[in-house]
Amino acid sequence: MDFTLPESAQAVQRGIAAVCARYDMDYWQRCEAEKRWPEEVWAELAKGGWLGLAVPEEYGGGGQGLLELTVATEALSASGAAGGSAFTYVLTPGFGALTLARHGSPEQRAALLPGLAAGEVETCFALTEPDAGSNALAISTSARADGAEYVINGQKIWITGVQRATWMLLVTRTIPAAEAKPRTNGLTVFLVNVPEAVAAGQLSYRPIPKMGANTTPSNMVFFDDLRVPATSVIGEVHAGAVVLWDILNPERVLLAASALGGAEVALRVGVAYAKEREVFGRAIGSNQAIAFPLARVKARIELARLTLYKAAWLFDRGLPCGTEANIAKLAASEAAWEAADAAFQTHGGMAYSLEYPVARLLTEARIGKVAPVTEELLLNYLATQVLGLPRSF
Amino acid sequence: MNIVVCVKQVPDTATERKLRSDDKTLDRDAADGVINELCEYAVEEALRLKEAHGGEVTVLTMGPDKATDTIRKALAMGADKAVHLVDPALHGSDALSTSYALAQTLKKIGFDLVILGSESTDARTGMLAAMLAERLGTPQLTLANKVEISGAGITVQRVTDYGFDKVEASLPAIVSVVEKINEPRYPSFKGIMAAKKKQVQTFGIADAEIDAAQVGVANAWSEVADFAVAPPRAAGTVVKDEGDGGVKTADYLASKKFI
Ligand SMILES: Cc1cc2nc3c(=O)[nH]c(=O)nc-3n(C[C@H](O)[C@H](O)[C@H](O)COP(=O)(O)OP(=O)(O)OC[C@H]3O[C@@H](n4cnc5c(N)ncnc54)[C@H](O)[C@@H]3O)c2cc1C
Repeated sequence: MDFTLPESAQAVQRGIAAVCARYDMDYWQRCEAEKRWPEEVWAELAKGGWLGLAVPEEYGGGGQGLLELTVATEALSASGAAGGSAFTYVLTPGFGALTLARHGSPEQRAALLPGLAAGEVETCFALTEPDAGSNALAISTSARADGAEYVINGQKIWITGVQRATWMLLVTRTIPAAEAKPRTNGLTVFLVNVPEAVAAGQLSYRPIPKMGANTTPSNMVFFDDLRVPATSVIGEVHAGAVVLWDILNPERVLLAASALGGAEVALRVGVAYAKEREVFGRAIGSNQAIAFPLARVKARIELARLTLYKAAWLFDRGLPCGTEANIAKLAASEAAWEAADAAFQTHGGMAYSLEYPVARLLTEARIGKVAPVTEELLLNYLATQVLGLPRSF
Repeated sequence: MNIVVCVKQVPDTATERKLRSDDKTLDRDAADGVINELCEYAVEEALRLKEAHGGEVTVLTMGPDKATDTIRKALAMGADKAVHLVDPALHGSDALSTSYALAQTLKKIGFDLVILGSESTDARTGMLAAMLAERLGTPQLTLANKVEISGAGITVQRVTDYGFDKVEASLPAIVSVVEKINEPRYPSFKGIMAAKKKQVQTFGIADAEIDAAQVGVANAWSEVADFAVAPPRAAGTVVKDEGDGGVKTADYLASKKFI
């Protein structure tokens, strides 16, 4: 058994770290405080080909898979971006590139992948609705065939990155949930050109004021007789579930990677402060009450990373990865939260000052326990799908 | 145009650097090796000249085995190939013998233009470009913050205390650059992957016809007689502002002849 990362993944680790080395923790603090997109880092990532890692080479991308994206997300997050800002990386290199590379029609691939590879075109992903979050199959946004077009109506919530996205991967129902048998039937995923739909008055959105992760706004989105050509379906009509699983599993993996990077930042910040801050005439880190939580976080990070890389490795081989993706997501978001909490306790009152990054790390670590999937739902999956326990719902 | 960039691996300035107790040379094993920062600017300038005028960029590094990491970094930025001059006999060479070894190697590999960083962060002698030019009988254009090539001619803007000089010469020539010259690129993903496949030729002293009696610690013209750890910094002077802070600060600076 060989634990060495493939050369491609090592190159990604080093390359992203080199770009991020010029942007310190203060940079990310400022982006968050000013609620602004990290333009400078984004431009460098685009130039170096880091945004198109998972785009096939014939479209100008790096020809890599989920493992390289995972390592990239972790490196970006661990550099200081942390869970909130590393999410920016998941929207396009993950949702857009990975999905179209695997499920896009030849026309869709030709139209979108070169722009995604160059970092010129961005994407977002719209699944959650006000009445369908954890119970995603209960979505009601409908798509009705009308000649060579589909007409879409409904509402989505929490859709992140709509402002910058040229394309939205939109999950709809072509068969209402109540009539679908099995429940996974009747889902259809569309590619929607956001600026065109907005210009036509068929799509509108409104940002949701939120607690953190403000480098990318999350929005309410409304579809009002939105007309899209039938050629904009990704995969097959009614059979969107196949596409959806291939969005949701990588999403879990990549957000686990961003949470893990967040845990690494929090641990680094906590350990540095524990070494430097003296109380009662000695470094606070010499108290085991401070040292042990940090040590435990270190163990959790290493454990989470093993399953995380394994999940990505399985996905890249086309093997089932649901169990591993769910475990990795659970373990990484727990590690991130525990790391932020330990860093918080270590900083004492200073943790509450916005001059330190701890408050940001804590807020961003908290989202990982509910999005893109809640901890309870991850545990439900393990309980029912893996352990075969009876369903409660 | 055949451009050679001399690139040096230096100990990371962020880590503790040590001299060896046996031969008083830099302990290159003790610290992480990184590319000398000014060498990145030299590589960047070479790549820009190649992009504008065509040709090939070769990296030349003299250093121990582990300097291959630094060579790969320069190749990942976009250089075409590399020559690694590595031989136990070269260990401990001073600036003079290093310039001899590099000049011998440059004669072997050939060049139209050699570009160097103006100094390295470890030894900081800043003399190598001049020594190389002397040994190779070519013009030296040092401390450049701008380089232009036209035909067989080269013009640089040379940074001076009073502004800059414009220096012209004909190729082949030796140029050293300062950090104002450009903004080095980051290696791209494709660059890093391609670098693994690029050719790195290894030269020993025999390959470059280097005379062993002119290199190495035993033949150095400069000698480290002794060294000691720098004493910890003494406590500074605190000026307490009681309404007269400005005056006191000025008096202090005047007493030290700063103003
Ligand atoms: C910052 C942020 C960004 C987001 N970005 C996007 C995006 O880009 N695109 C997108 O589509 N969505 C996005 N989301 C939405 C996210 O995926 C959902 O919030 C998430 O799936 C949870 O759904 P919900 O909020 O409706 O919670 P609910 O489903 O209402 O759950 C509420 C609580 O009840 C618990 N619960 C429900 N059922 C059970 C059960 N059977 N057993 C035990 N507990 C249960 C849940 O675990 C949770 O604790 C984002 C969310 C956030 C916060």
